[in-house]
Amino acid sequence: MLTPEDSLPFLLGLAVLLPLVSFFVIFLFGKWLEQLGAHIATGAIAAAAMCSLTAAAIWMAQHAPPATHHAHPAESHAVISQSSVHLTALHDGEHDHDHADGLVHGEHDEHADDAHFVPPVYTGHWYSLGRFYGSEVAINYYIDALTIVMFCVVTFIATCIHFYAGGYMHEELHEVTDHEVTLADGTHLKRPGRYHRFFQYLSLFCFSMLGLVIAGNIAMTFVFWELVGACSYFLIGFYVERQSASTAANKAFIVNRVGDFGMLIGLMAIWASLATFNFGDVDRNGDGKLDPHEHGLFSLLRPAGENGLHELRVPDGMVLQGAKERVEEMIVAAQPGTTTADLESQILAQVSLWRDGKAKGDATHYGYWLLVIAGVGIFCGCVGKSAQFPLHVWLPDAMEGPTPVSALVHSATMVAAGVFLVARFYPVFAPEVLLVIACAGCITLLIGGSIAIVATDIKRVLAYSTVSQLGYMMLALGVGGWAAGVMHLVTHAFFKSLLFMCSGSVIHAVHTNEMTEMGGLRKKMPYTAYTMLVGCLAIAGVGVPSALGIPFGFSGYYSKDLMLEQAYLFRSANPLWGSIFFYAATGGAAVTAFYMFRMWYLTFAGEPRDEHRYKHAHESPRVMYVPLVVLAVMAVAIAWPIFGNYGLTNVIEQGRPIGLWSDMASLDGGYVWLHESKSHADEIRTPVGLMAFGAAMTGIFLASAMYLWRVLDPTDARRTFAPVYKFLVHKWWFDEAYDVLFVRPAKVIAACCVWIDKQCIDRLLHGLAWSVRQIARCGEAWVDQGAIDGAINWFAAKTYSTGAALRGMQTGSLRQYVMFIVVGALAMFVLMSFWSYGFAR
Amino acid sequence: MDLVTCSMSALIFFPLAAAALISLIPGDQKNVIRFTTLLATLVMFGVVLFGMALPTNETISFDIETAGMQNVVSLPWIPSFNIDYFLGFDGISFPLVVLTALISALAMGASWTIEKHVKGYCVLYLILLTGMMGVFVSLDFFLFYIFWEVMLLPMYFLIGVWGGPRKEYAAIKFFLYTLFGSVLMLVAILMIYFNSDLRQLSPQQLVDSNVRLAGVEHLGAVDEHLAAATKYHETISAAETPVHTFNLLALQQLGQHSEVFDKELLFGKSLQWWAFVLLFIGFAIKVPSVPFHTWLPDAHVEAPTPISMILAGVLLKMGGYGIIRICYPICPDAGYDLAWVVCSIGVISMIYGAFAALAQTDFKRMVAYSSVSHMGYVVLGLGVWSATVVGDPVAWNMGVKGAMFQMIGHGISSAGMFFMVGVIYDRVHHRNLNEFGGLFGKMPVYTSMAIIVFFAGLGLPGLCGFIGEAFVVLSVWKFSAGLAVAGAFVVILTAGYILWAVQRVYLGAEYKGPHAEALTEINIREMAIAVPLCVLAILFGVLPHTVFRYMDATIDQQVQDLATWTKETKIPRIQAEQTEKEATAAVAPGWEQQAAEAAAVRVDAVPAVAVVDGEI
Repeated sequence: MLTPEDSLPFLLGLAVLLPLVSFFVIFLFGKWLEQLGAHIATGAIAAAAMCSLTAAAIWMAQHAPPATHHAHPAESHAVISQSSVHLTALHDGEHDHDHADGLVHGEHDEHADDAHFVPPVYTGHWYSLGRFYGSEVAINYYIDALTIVMFCVVTFIATCIHFYAGGYMHEELHEVTDHEVTLADGTHLKRPGRYHRFFQYLSLFCFSMLGLVIAGNIAMTFVFWELVGACSYFLIGFYVERQSASTAANKAFIVNRVGDFGMLIGLMAIWASLATFNFGDVDRNGDGKLDPHEHGLFSLLRPAGENGLHELRVPDGMVLQGAKERVEEMIVAAQPGTTTADLESQILAQVSLWRDGKAKGDATHYGYWLLVIAGVGIFCGCVGKSAQFPLHVWLPDAMEGPTPVSALVHSATMVAAGVFLVARFYPVFAPEVLLVIACAGCITLLIGGSIAIVATDIKRVLAYSTVSQLGYMMLALGVGGWAAGVMHLVTHAFFKSLLFMCSGSVIHAVHTNEMTEMGGLRKKMPYTAYTMLVGCLAIAGVGVPSALGIPFGFSGYYSKDLMLEQAYLFRSANPLWGSIFFYAATGGAAVTAFYMFRMWYLTFAGEPRDEHRYKHAHESPRVMYVPLVVLAVMAVAIAWPIFGNYGLTNVIEQGRPIGLWSDMASLDGGYVWLHESKSHADEIRTPVGLMAFGAAMTGIFLASAMYLWRVLDPTDARRTFAPVYKFLVHKWWFDEAYDVLFVRPAKVIAACCVWIDKQCIDRLLHGLAWSVRQIARCGEAWVDQGAIDGAINWFAAKTYSTGAALRGMQTGSLRQYVMFIVVGALAMFVLMSFWSYGFAR
Repeated sequence: MDLVTCSMSALIFFPLAAAALISLIPGDQKNVIRFTTLLATLVMFGVVLFGMALPTNETISFDIETAGMQNVVSLPWIPSFNIDYFLGFDGISFPLVVLTALISALAMGASWTIEKHVKGYCVLYLILLTGMMGVFVSLDFFLFYIFWEVMLLPMYFLIGVWGGPRKEYAAIKFFLYTLFGSVLMLVAILMIYFNSDLRQLSPQQLVDSNVRLAGVEHLGAVDEHLAAATKYHETISAAETPVHTFNLLALQQLGQHSEVFDKELLFGKSLQWWAFVLLFIGFAIKVPSVPFHTWLPDAHVEAPTPISMILAGVLLKMGGYGIIRICYPICPDAGYDLAWVVCSIGVISMIYGAFAALAQTDFKRMVAYSSVSHMGYVVLGLGVWSATVVGDPVAWNMGVKGAMFQMIGHGISSAGMFFMVGVIYDRVHHRNLNEFGGLFGKMPVYTSMAIIVFFAGLGLPGLCGFIGEAFVVLSVWKFSAGLAVAGAFVVILTAGYILWAVQRVYLGAEYKGPHAEALTEINIREMAIAVPLCVLAILFGVLPHTVFRYMDATIDQQVQDLATWTKETKIPRIQAEQTEKEATAAVAPGWEQQAAEAAAVRVDAVPAVAVVDGEI
């Protein structure tokens, strides 16, 4: 219990299981628990949060994060100008901070400047789902700094939201009249409250989400991936009576399944070639040594190598699977009589040639594309879950769920799971996959941002904003900014859940989602208004750029700048794509600032647009606004680099997976991913910081001009850009296009299948049955009735007629009979005479 | 008789005895008859679960460590044809035996709503149980066939008498389809029988396959058994005519270690190729695989709820069981060559069934098509023959285990789904998906259980449908990437049709169909059936080990045997064929060269003529 190897899995496992226990308790006894159900759920998640924080403390006590490395301009210049691989550990230099104590410093010296730094990881086995000879699919764990960070974030936010939901859902405690559902008789639906059900689903969700985070292998990730999807389904469809809610729930699940289809392909490719799903090495037999099948994906794909840099290398299994046809050729071409062992060694001897494309007359890099398929496949799952283009369509509809759900599931945690998985699986992604990720992220951030500009439903604005921010994270990860992407994941979780909860508070007060019916609410609900303003400032990334002295700002400022810096760095190596990515991201920053402040002004500033609603508006109860304040504090300060070596950035940096400490290039060398530490150089920080600052300010200024000062008229703008406006209001026509392209064809194919069954197969069978009956009937008519029966009947008839003819002779006259006897006797005599005569001769 | 013989025979004959007993009860004592039948099925299940599945009894309990046959009973039945009363189970059949016992007890509970001819129903029901158990435990091919047919007849009457409006049509369709398959199977059985030859087996193989050593006495100890087998081997080796056998284990040995089934039969294909095709069609009808599936929707729609449960829960599994027990081990060469066909049929069934389910408006028909789709996974998993020279056949092992798990998982989830449909059909007497809605509000307990069961069918992790589906799909890539992608695609369709049905039936504001007043919450009897199914769906999903522990040893062994066969027999064969082909090809260039030379001569000659022409 005292060593981290034992205590961390125990604590985090407990954190995973507590919500599950709460789920079962409420599931079975919910009806009798009523409000107690919420307390159980909240208690469970709060306890889980305690466990997580304790685990974090143990972690940091054991593994002090690497010290931040204050950059001297000359040094950073050296970093960026060196084409050779140069590794520095975290290097944010955003403030002057005192070097940590000697111990941590020692760690720093030991790890942070070491190119061969291997992040501390605990892996282990819980139980087995299935064993296949040496290989196994199991429930196990993988605990590193990323796991710890995610646990703390998820449990902390979930706890806040549980408290908040306790207030938000209070209507469900008694009978509810659902004004959005009109029955056939014209009345509104009345139904019993489902307070405990809500917390039941919420608990199940927390369990699934934490299970996803602690997952030690990609199959287990998939298991919990689907489970969070199912929880999301239940929570979106919480108001089951509403057609729109159940449709949105279905849409979310099915669209996610499309992503999971891709993920399954990735899983299959991995399993077929490597026969393991584990991230890290797990010593299953506990002999202290690693057998070949105990290696995890990371060590298979990133062996230490000659230079110890853990560069990506296609593993043998993948080469063999990629070169399957070559292998089959070799097997077939082998001389009969070759022993299996010989053949096997011949094939294995080819592997390294195949891998490097050096086989005779064959320059294909076998296995590499399989690796790309695996990576893209896994990323497809992330596309679905994290609502990336082209599967982003479900997230806005998911706002049908109650607002705490939107805050927890659809902004802070579940949708960020895709980003988390990309970060977790980063060592497996080939550079080509990273390019795909960056592209998807870039497109998504533009789509999401553009639609958010015109949305009038307060939750939809936030939903599209979430889509856009997730696109940012993907873009950052795709251009090589591992820490930047994860950092934004964390900061975004705080400020976006804050924003959603504020919007929930507003909706709670005015009973509408439409911002056109709000306005001026800051006077009525100050806590909500100003915490939301904090959220807006955080998401816009407001802060003092480093060029203006001490860099300092809201949490979004740190993460957004990190992402932009990385995009800028990528641009320095890959001008075309890098420029697209960088300017899209910078423009996106302006757009983000614009729509967030538009939302804030429309809701809280100006004069009320709907007097009736304004009159009934009120600040939410304390149980709701206290979590808002707590989250607002976090949204401001979570990324502040004032905690020495124990700041967020340091801990995240400690989770950087192996092999990410060097530059990467695509197979053809056309694209280069420079190492992230180079993006902290002043040559990059200064211009990027200014541009980001400019973008945010432009957005805020424009929003203020249009919605606060009213110097620009939004309706004018709408009229001027009518086609664009229409395009955006209809959400780029994605739903309509998907309906035409996928939903309807699927229904047509389904109808075809039924038609084939009924009209082809069954027709054929009926035809066969009919023809057999006809044959039988013919057989009956001709053979039975005609030939056999006919013959017998004919014979009978003849017998009868003969008898009838002979009947005339039966006269009863004795004389006649005597004459017959005489004639007969004579005739016999004559005959016999001839007979015997003939024989005698 | 010893305990093993008693217990194994009881599996088969106890239901028959119960049926005989019930036939003595007056027909108007409906409840007595029902309770007696239920008691009989419960006793069966109790014996199987506590006596055999749990390690309570050293003699008859299933030993999970043993890969081979257990509880073997081998008595002469028709000695002149070497037909034996040969029973036993291993890790492949035993889980199915347990499943059969479980589902038949639950389905009997669901039979309470049957009011017509209760006595006849119960008698036929028990005879059906005899047939099902017999199929899973008989190891003599002839005996297997007998039970296969025995099961058919009660099913015909159960659908044809107690069914819905088109019951006669459905019953006769079911009967003829299956009979057609049986006839093909019979042909294959005879082909295999008359080509089998026990003389080809070594004494050890005779011992392994529990061949009854006619005419040789032995006392049962291991070395004595071997000695007796040696003696028997000598006796039959002296015989001039082949010694035929119906012993499935011996036939497996013959298929894998001799060449008796390799002789050419028709169109250049070997005997075992044809036997495989005939057997596979027979089993594919039972599974059912597209295009032999159209009996299933009709049979399900017309059959009463408990019979649908039995049909989907147990009968379909016989097809899969036949493929893994008979097709592959006896005809490995054909299995290797036809793996692609088998897998394609599996994938086509998965996709086709899912699409067809999407278009249904009848709730039960939709569930029936989902069975077609789900059983496609079984065929696919059994077919992924990806063993090669390098490495263990991990993917293949996973496919077979996934398929076996899918059979059990589907047995739970499909029986559950049909039961859930039956519950509302009993109340409102219609099944039109578009005329439901709002059941969540009226029957919350029922709805939550139904959603568990339907999500198990959907393949949600943590429920029993997931493990089978996921393992099968994951195993396919090694065999063929294209089929794997097509198979994985089905997860989208499955989510589509199940969620759409759930939305139309359970969610929504109000019920749209007739008899709204009849929608009362699920009662205690129905709970007693639904709760075990839900619990098992969760248990098997969370701890698949509860099922796998019974299968692991046997499947590992069987896959390993076939993989060894691939390495040691099949690959050399392919290499030899290739060498032969190259040899002919090596001759061919000679001819080609000659032809080319001849052509060159002609080319040389033509200009000469032209020149001559020119001169003229």
